Amino acid sequence: MREFYVYGFKSRDEYSRKSARSYDDEKRRLESWLGDYMQFRQTPEGKTVFLSIDSRVSRHNPLYAAWKTKSFTDGDMTLHFILFDILQSPGTALTLKEITGLVDEYLSSFDEPRMFDSSTVRKKLNEYVSEGIVVSEKRGKTMYYRRAEDADLPDPDVLDFFSEAAPCGVIGSFLLDKADSHRDHFAFKHHYITGAMDSEIVCQLFAAMSEKRSITIESINRHKDRLSENRVVPLRLMISAQSGRQYLMAYVPRLNRIISFRTDNIASVRPGEVSERFDELREKLDGMIPNMWGVSTQSRSGGRMEHVEFTVRYSESEAHIHQRLEREKRCGTVERIDDHTSRFSADVFDSSELVPWIRTFICRIIDFSFSNKALEAQFREDIEEMYRLYGLGEVTEDDLQ
Amino acid sequence: MIFSELYSAYYDTVARVLKAAVEHPLKKDELRDIIEKNAFGESILNIEPALAEGRWQLIRPDGSTPLRYPPSTPMTTLEKRWLKAVYADPRIGLFTDEDIFPGVEPLFTAADCCVFDKYSDGDPYDDEAYRKTFRLMLDAIEKRYPLSIDTVNRKGGTAHLVMMPEYLEYSEKDDKFRLRGSGCRYGDTVNLARIVRCEPYEGTFSRAPRTRLRPRTQKVEFELIDKRNALERVLMHFAHFEKQAERIGFDRYRVTISYDRDDETEMVIRILSFGPMIRVTAPKHFIELIKERLKAQKSCER
Repeated sequence: MREFYVYGFKSRDEYSRKSARSYDDEKRRLESWLGDYMQFRQTPEGKTVFLSIDSRVSRHNPLYAAWKTKSFTDGDMTLHFILFDILQSPGTALTLKEITGLVDEYLSSFDEPRMFDSSTVRKKLNEYVSEGIVVSEKRGKTMYYRRAEDADLPDPDVLDFFSEAAPCGVIGSFLLDKADSHRDHFAFKHHYITGAMDSEIVCQLFAAMSEKRSITIESINRHKDRLSENRVVPLRLMISAQSGRQYLMAYVPRLNRIISFRTDNIASVRPGEVSERFDELREKLDGMIPNMWGVSTQSRSGGRMEHVEFTVRYSESEAHIHQRLEREKRCGTVERIDDHTSRFSADVFDSSELVPWIRTFICRIIDFSFSNKALEAQFREDIEEMYRLYGLGEVTEDDLQ
Repeated sequence: MIFSELYSAYYDTVARVLKAAVEHPLKKDELRDIIEKNAFGESILNIEPALAEGRWQLIRPDGSTPLRYPPSTPMTTLEKRWLKAVYADPRIGLFTDEDIFPGVEPLFTAADCCVFDKYSDGDPYDDEAYRKTFRLMLDAIEKRYPLSIDTVNRKGGTAHLVMMPEYLEYSEKDDKFRLRGSGCRYGDTVNLARIVRCEPYEGTFSRAPRTRLRPRTQKVEFELIDKRNALERVLMHFAHFEKQAERIGFDRYRVTISYDRDDETEMVIRILSFGPMIRVTAPKHFIELIKERLKAQKSCER
C-alpha cells in the first residue's frame, strides 16, 4: 500500500521484491478498499497504478480500511452474533454447557443447522475474555461466562477528531464504526496518513513501554533489502508532524546507545523481560532532547556535539521572521541582534538535521557557520547548485535590482 | 490486537443487517442496500450469498433472524485503553470536562510519545474562553446557525465578521484550529486563537456574493534527482497532497502536486527546503517565486 500511495510511479514489472501475482493481489485488494482514490496512468513502461489522496479533503483516513479486513471462518461469524445475543445482559452468567445448548437452539430453525462442539465455543469465549468483551468467573468448580459491562461511546466529535489526531487513531475509527451516523465537523491540514499502516507495531511498542519491557525488534533495511534483529529497551515514540514519519527511540544494549528506528521499518516486535533500567534510560533520553533537532543522536562528523548558527536579515515589514524562528525552533536559542537581524544557534548531536529548515530562510541568510565543516561546505555548494539550476550562476545587473 | 475480525467491516456490516432483521424480516433489496452502504467493494459480493446460502446461519430464508436483540458488542480493552489515553490529551478539554474509565490503564501516556516538530505557539487549549468558543463553534456547525466574530489580525487591529461556520480545520504542525466558514466577504478562514469575541448572530444572515470555501487548486511541477535519499524524503513530505510521480530517467523523477493557492508561500518554502534535489519546472510564476528568493539570497552574500 505504501508503494502505491507514497511512490506511485512503478509499473507492474518494477515491483521487484514481490511476484507479479502478489502485485495483482495487492492491487485488487486496494481497489476493493480504496477504489475511489485509485488512479491509472499509461507510460512507455506500462500501466502505472497509484493512490492519490488529498488528506485535507478526505475527512477520515482511508488507509484505516486495511485494518478492517481480517479474515475469519463461517463459524466465527455465526458464533459471534449468537453468543452476544445469548449473553445479552451483563447480569446473565452461564456455563459453557448452557451456552452450547442455547447455540444449538438458535441454529435449530435452519434446514441444515451447523453444530458447534463445546471446545469450539470455549475457545471462542476465551478469545473474547482476552479481548475484554466477555468476563469469566469460577463458581466452585464451574466456569461461568457473562458479557463485560458496556460503556457509552463518547461524543462522535471526540472520535472524529482523535481518530485522526491521536496515535493508533484506527482504534477510534473502530469505535466510530459503531456510532450512529453523524456529520463530520473536522478537517485536517498537513495531515499524514501513512502512520496508519504501523498501528499494530506502535500498539505493541506502547504495550512494552507501559510494562517497561525489553523487546526484540525485527527491522527491515530497505537499501540492503534484508532483515535484522535487535534487542532493545523501547523508550518513546517520536512522531513527525512535518514528514509523517514515526520513530521509536530505544536503548540498544549491544551498542550501549539510544538510537532511533523508523516504525515503518519494524517488521515485528517480540516482548522480552522487564528492564530494571527503564526509568534511568528514559531520563537519559529526556536529558538528550535539548540537543536533538530530529531523532538523530549521533553526529556524522564523529564529534560528541556539533554547533550550528545562522543569521537572517529582514525588512521593516517582515518582523514576523523573528517570530518564525522562535516558534519553529525545536531547540537552541534565537537572539535579536537589531530590529532587522536575528541569529539562531544550537548545539546538537547531528547538525545535518537542521539543514532543510535553514534552507527555508533562503533569501535572507546573511551568515552561517557549522562546526561540521564538511556539512558547511555542502550547504554552501547546495546553494550554489540551486543558483545554477535556475540560471543564476552568473551575477548580472538584474540580480542587483 | 488491532488486526482482529471484531473490528472488520464484515462484522460491522452484518451487525447492521441483523439490527434491521430483528425488527422485521428483511427483503432482498433491503439486505443489499444495507450491505452496499457499509461494506467495501469485494465484501459486498461475499456477504449476501454467505447469509443467503446459510454459511453464516444468522438470517433465515424468509429474511428473519434467530437473534432476539439488536446486536451489540461491548468495548474491547484495547478500545477502552485508547480512549483513556485520549482523555489525558490536553485537547480533550475542548470537548468535555469529564474523565472516563477509572482504573483502566491508558494505552499510552505523554511520556510514551510526542510530536517533536510541531511549532511552539500552539493554541491555548486550557484557556476557558478558547474552550467556550470552540464548543460554540461545534454547536453552530452542527445546528447550522451563523456566528458573529471579532478577531485580532497580525497587526493588532480588530476585524468583525459574520459567517456560517462549516467545519474546523486542525493542523498538527501548527497545533492550531481554524474555522472554515462561508458567506463572509472578508474571507473564509479564522484562526481560533485570534478570536476575542464569538456569539450566535442574531440578525438576518445573507451570504455575501462571490465568497468561496473551496480551495483554489494550483499545481506545481518539479524534477527530482534521487540523491541523498531525496526520492523517499520528498515523496513522504508531500504525501498528504494529491500528487503524481513518474520516472523520467535513471535517478530522475517528475512530480506534480496540487495545492491550495492560499498556501503558495508555504509551498515555496517547503520546496526550497530540499535544496538542489528539486528543480521547479512549471508553472512560470512559481519558478519566478523561487528565483526571486535565490536572487535575494545572492544579494545577502555580497
